[in-house]
Amino acid sequence: MSKGLVRAKGGIVENIDHKLNSKPENMQKVSHNSVKISVENVSKIYQVADAEDVPVLKDVNIDIRNNEFVSLVGRSGCGKTTLLNILAGLVPPSSGIVRIDGTTVTGPGDGKGMVFQQHALFPWLTTIENVAFGCKSKGMRKADRTEIAMDLVKLVGLDGYQNHYPRELSGGMQQRVAIARALALDPEILLMDEPFGALDEMTRLEMQDELLRIWEVRKKTVVFVTHSLTEALVLSDRIFLMGRNPGGIRREFSVPFSRPRHRSSVEFLEMYEDIWAGL
Amino acid sequence: MNALFSLSTTTKSRLVGAVFIIFLLIAWEVAVDLKWLKIYKFPPPSKCWEAFVELFTSGFPIEQTVDIHIGWTLWRIVQGYVLGCLLAVPLGVVIGSYSLLDKLTAPIITFGRSVAALSLLPLVIFWFGTGEAPKIAIIAYGTFWAMIAHTIAGVKFVDPLLIRAARTLEADQKFIFLHVVIPAALPRIFVGARVALGVAFMVIVGAEMIGTIQGLGALINEARNFYRADITLIGMALIGLLGLGISGVLQLLERILLPWNKGLEEVRR
Amino acid sequence: MNTQENSSKLNDTALGLIGVIALFAIWEIVSYTGIISQEIFPSPSQAVTATLTTMPLSEIGGHVWASLTRVFWGFLIGGSLGIIVGVASGWYAWVGVLTRPLIELTRPIPPLAWIPMAIIWLGLGEPSKIFVISLGAFFPVVTSAYKGMISVDPVLLRAAQTMGLKGWRILFQVALPASLPDLATGIRIGWGLSFGMLVAAELVAANEGMGFMIMHARELGQVGIIIFGIVLIGVVNLVTDYAIGVVIRRQIGKWHTY
Repeated sequence: MSKGLVRAKGGIVENIDHKLNSKPENMQKVSHNSVKISVENVSKIYQVADAEDVPVLKDVNIDIRNNEFVSLVGRSGCGKTTLLNILAGLVPPSSGIVRIDGTTVTGPGDGKGMVFQQHALFPWLTTIENVAFGCKSKGMRKADRTEIAMDLVKLVGLDGYQNHYPRELSGGMQQRVAIARALALDPEILLMDEPFGALDEMTRLEMQDELLRIWEVRKKTVVFVTHSLTEALVLSDRIFLMGRNPGGIRREFSVPFSRPRHRSSVEFLEMYEDIWAGL
Repeated sequence: MNALFSLSTTTKSRLVGAVFIIFLLIAWEVAVDLKWLKIYKFPPPSKCWEAFVELFTSGFPIEQTVDIHIGWTLWRIVQGYVLGCLLAVPLGVVIGSYSLLDKLTAPIITFGRSVAALSLLPLVIFWFGTGEAPKIAIIAYGTFWAMIAHTIAGVKFVDPLLIRAARTLEADQKFIFLHVVIPAALPRIFVGARVALGVAFMVIVGAEMIGTIQGLGALINEARNFYRADITLIGMALIGLLGLGISGVLQLLERILLPWNKGLEEVRR
Repeated sequence: MNTQENSSKLNDTALGLIGVIALFAIWEIVSYTGIISQEIFPSPSQAVTATLTTMPLSEIGGHVWASLTRVFWGFLIGGSLGIIVGVASGWYAWVGVLTRPLIELTRPIPPLAWIPMAIIWLGLGEPSKIFVISLGAFFPVVTSAYKGMISVDPVLLRAAQTMGLKGWRILFQVALPASLPDLATGIRIGWGLSFGMLVAAELVAANEGMGFMIMHARELGQVGIIIFGIVLIGVVNLVTDYAIGVVIRRQIGKWHTY
């Protein structure tokens, strides 16, 4: 796979059943047939003392398929982080239901890993201890959890940094640890809340490629929140554009390009322009 | 009931806190009434209120009313505090301006701060007897070290960017010192002033326990000698209130004198 | 770069040492010129000789030990209570609602002002001393523990939740370690205040300890011992505070920047 090669024609494809050209036939079948996460009529209203209720999300309906990489894109205030927190089970919806494999989500954990914007690493733990944290809390033996954690540390390219504390790592490395930590319990779903939002541009591009590489190795259903359309276009199978007042899904796009994608190819830029024009 | 619900959560929790304290006071009163607590050890609120009235009318010890006690305590603090500041601030500015002096004196100042001011009490009593001088001396001592340490830090850690900016505006050394270094050091000096006041307040209570019957520290100690726990408690409350009042005044002063520092202060919190 | 830093640090220490020596030298010289009577303000060397001739080293050691055990117990009791109350009031909202106003109301009273009350409640013996010393530790520790708990980054708690942690486990594995830097600051301040209370308590009533040592010397008019004792109290305070600082820097400083 040579970089910078775009194997599919560009353009907006709003048909959710669009076939992804580059993926092998059998894999596509998996991703087509089974719905992993289904969001049904989810609304969220925040109650503020001495003020009117604030509707943050209204009637959100989406289905996310198994091993799909989906992005939620929108300006600040469109409720994308709230939606992600609802998927994670950190925040209960005011109405509506989120199902994973048909089971209603009632709380965090339980096969849902999460990566936060501000890495959220435990500053008093070293890289390997951070990665092993979830396994430790599950009561796994030290040798086992260290082995799992070390594999992940290697996967995210931090071999040699396992005994460093978070403050001794660069922003990009911290996010790598956060990704490894989220993967440690081998969740089926990975929820990412603007994970590269605080990084500088160069590191950000690098981390996007890294994430795709890791995703190729450890296939997960990924829900990725970002405010960068470019980022969403580089990473995702599908993009949900969200709007404000009240927050909700406005439009949905399938990205037809195979990976890796070249950010400055004509087709890529055309699609970028088309999406903006459609807003 | 509806009005209660519409209150914000902070007001509600404050209300609950206040109700809890009132409940404790009532429980205390009842416990003494039922003889669960000894009245001379745990004088209930009603008895403390009587003591409070007594303090204002006939005074304790006799004819030493509360204004006399507060007046003496304040007067001692002011004398010692001003003396300490007058010595510490100029010296601190000089030391902070010369890195060599700063390095020579650094351990002495660390040490001076770690000598508890009260431990000087036997020495100053030996020197000056039990009059006013020893009390003022140890307040001045406590004030001095807190003040000098903060003044040095204030002058030493002026943002070099400000000095560079002033240089590009062709200000000379003296002008920079007076119009950049000193104002930039003031916020830290004020922190020192607050810390020093805390120290002074702490020390005076201890110092007044020896050789006088006037002052709040003397009041609570004398009351103890006569087993008047009610008076002691009222005295403690007055000490706390006075401390709050003084630090409030200092904060007000800081806001008036350094209006530009307000934003910074908020950020630091 | 590193060696340069080290050498400049060494220079600073050397300069500081010169400053201290200079101070003692000036004191010694002034004392010998007789400007101030040696009966009133003896020179350092006289203070040391006066102390060592009247007091065997073991007796001095005994006073230091008595003071240290006293302040240790007071600090331990006050500090542990402070941690428990502070953490509980920061973690459980209702505990905070009930305890915060009480603490805020009593905090402005300097611990020294509790001495008469402590004597009324507990008598002149050891318990009242331990009580006021523990108050010195309690207030800074309870405040910093509370502050530390309420300022724990909520994203850390959420991260732990996404890894399946609940309740107590989040408190002990996430919130408590996250609040350690704040707590450590309170502990250090608390130790300093405990030490101040120790001296005060021993001045009021004791028959051993460093505070007693100087108060007793005053009664006997032995000014040399008073000065020696004051410096000794300062040194012990400085050394113990430094030791606590080193432990904090070793344990917390490796992951937290102060």
